[in-house]
Amino acid sequence: MSIFCEPVGLSHYLVVSAILFVCGVLCMTTKRNVLGVLMGIELVLNGANLNFMAFGSPAICGTSTLGLDGQLIALFVIVLAAAEAAVALAIALNYYHTHATVDVDRGNELKG
Amino acid sequence: MNFNELLQDVVQKDTLASLRAVQPELTLCATIIAILLAKILIPAWKQSPFHLTVIGLATAMFVGFPWHGSAAAAVSTLAQPIFTASLVSDSFTTVVRFFLLTFAMLFAAFAEISTDGEDDRTEFYVLILGALVGMCLMISANHVLIVLLGVEMASVPCYVLAGLKRRQSKSSEAALKYAVFGAGAAGVMMFGLSLLAGGLGTAHLPAMAANLAKMIQGGISPQQITILSLGGLMVMVGVGFKLSAVPFHFWAPDVFEGATAEVAAFLSVASKAAALGLLMRLCSAFAFPADMYFHSPIGELLPQASLIAALAPVRQYIVAIVAVLAAVTCTFGNLAAYGQTNMKRLLAYSTIAHAGYMMMPVAAAVALIRVGSDGVSVDGARDAVASLVTYISIYLFMNLAAFAIVAFLRNATGSEEIADYAGLVRRSPGLTVCMAIVMFSLVGLPPLAGFQAKWVMFYSLIEAAHVCPALWALLSVGLLNTILSLFYYLRVVRVMALSPEPLYREAPTIPLTSMVGMYCGLLTAPMLLLFFALDRVLPWAHAAASTLF
Repeated sequence: MSIFCEPVGLSHYLVVSAILFVCGVLCMTTKRNVLGVLMGIELVLNGANLNFMAFGSPAICGTSTLGLDGQLIALFVIVLAAAEAAVALAIALNYYHTHATVDVDRGNELKG
Repeated sequence: MNFNELLQDVVQKDTLASLRAVQPELTLCATIIAILLAKILIPAWKQSPFHLTVIGLATAMFVGFPWHGSAAAAVSTLAQPIFTASLVSDSFTTVVRFFLLTFAMLFAAFAEISTDGEDDRTEFYVLILGALVGMCLMISANHVLIVLLGVEMASVPCYVLAGLKRRQSKSSEAALKYAVFGAGAAGVMMFGLSLLAGGLGTAHLPAMAANLAKMIQGGISPQQITILSLGGLMVMVGVGFKLSAVPFHFWAPDVFEGATAEVAAFLSVASKAAALGLLMRLCSAFAFPADMYFHSPIGELLPQASLIAALAPVRQYIVAIVAVLAAVTCTFGNLAAYGQTNMKRLLAYSTIAHAGYMMMPVAAAVALIRVGSDGVSVDGARDAVASLVTYISIYLFMNLAAFAIVAFLRNATGSEEIADYAGLVRRSPGLTVCMAIVMFSLVGLPPLAGFQAKWVMFYSLIEAAHVCPALWALLSVGLLNTILSLFYYLRVVRVMALSPEPLYREAPTIPLTSMVGMYCGLLTAPMLLLFFALDRVLPWAHAAASTLF
């Protein structure tokens, strides 16, 4: 009765989103390039989105669902992620102007 | 009920009443638009951002606070869930929002005085007001969506504010670190909220608690416990980041040092107060989902007392997390502050330590909800929340004053190093006295308001420790830290008052009669006044607490 033998259900979605989350967190913590870190954040957010979608869908998890709430929250998360990425990229560009690199480890003026 | 009736119901009953309750937020939004338009339409009006901000904040304070009437009357008239219970407008929202707006008003004056001559302040004020709207959402959140929106709306403008000095490499580095840490923490928090909302089958916070209670009563499987407690921990990552709680505090000292002292003041007070408000909301929703926070009565679901009783393990979990975080944050902040030579970094660690102190009453409040055979007793919990609100009201003046003095001294000497403050008492005795009062108040020495703040907080902790003996440890950590903190705050005063004046420094003479001096005096006065007039604040603090529990 492994997860591979069952028809696709809620647990499969949760496994995929958990994998996305772990990949994202690994990417955030190991990448030294700002753009890589931001990509990791997008992965985490998309993992959350997948969760909201799966929990919100009556086709996947039957009667006790988040319903439209889940899908609406997913829409909002997409918009929030876009806004956050826009600001973070602008800040990264400004960082590039002052440091001539987008390597986070080079930012070592502030310590203590 | 057909579609037409439903539409009528939503538009007429809910939306109109809701719009009345969010007048301050609407005013802030209108102010933002007015500032942006004024810049295009009336370019000759150089002071327009500041003037419009002050007008907008004053209007928001006027419409958002029950000026006529006592605190007790406000409690009953204000409490209502708004916008189909996704937000809640109660006295906690009103009082904390009033503190935030008061802070913003004082802060706008501070920014205008200290950055006199820089003509382009439009972005600064727009971002501040935008962040304020997000903070108001955070303290009135009653739905997962609003939690997400509030946290993001409060954070994103702050990333930009940290990097406002575009040409300075320190500032851009601070902004980058803040944005990357912040976005990461927000992402983890969203994932946690998705697990919690999905696992509990609803996104409405009190209904989530009600479902959780039902699950606990009906037997909860170990997998569900794992998912839910993981979700809870992930949410604490996001809230802990906003609070700069250890171990999510890395950004705080770097951002405070890299950003200007003005921005640091905003982050240290407004952002923290809003994060505490959100933490309080989340804890109250999961520990004590009161009837008024639901859109419709939940009587058929579970009787209130058995609902609260079933949530006992959840309360233990919350108390454990918050208490451990508070103890670690407080101790680490105070210990790390010792080695600092930069005044803004020192204040950053002091802010971290204070975040720890302010999390203690949250743990106490949750621990003090008692369910006996004679019903639910929440008097102690209300006292604890009231002590938190009191602490916030006093902390607002203390930290704003500290950062204001740092900014004014930076303008006069060009330095933010503690060593450069040496012998300042000879040139500007008034300012040094103000700084000394602020520092002693931050330690919590009588007869200053900081003592009152710590006193009410520790008193509520003692009450809580009688119920939950593990909190005696938290109390002793808090007391020990208060003594620890004395030394590094005193060091600043010692350098200013006793060290000889360096030869290379130009004389930074700031008399108390100047604009700058008077502003410092204005901020320092409440520290003396509030010690004697705390009974003016306490009724409102108790009113704020009474709807939460």
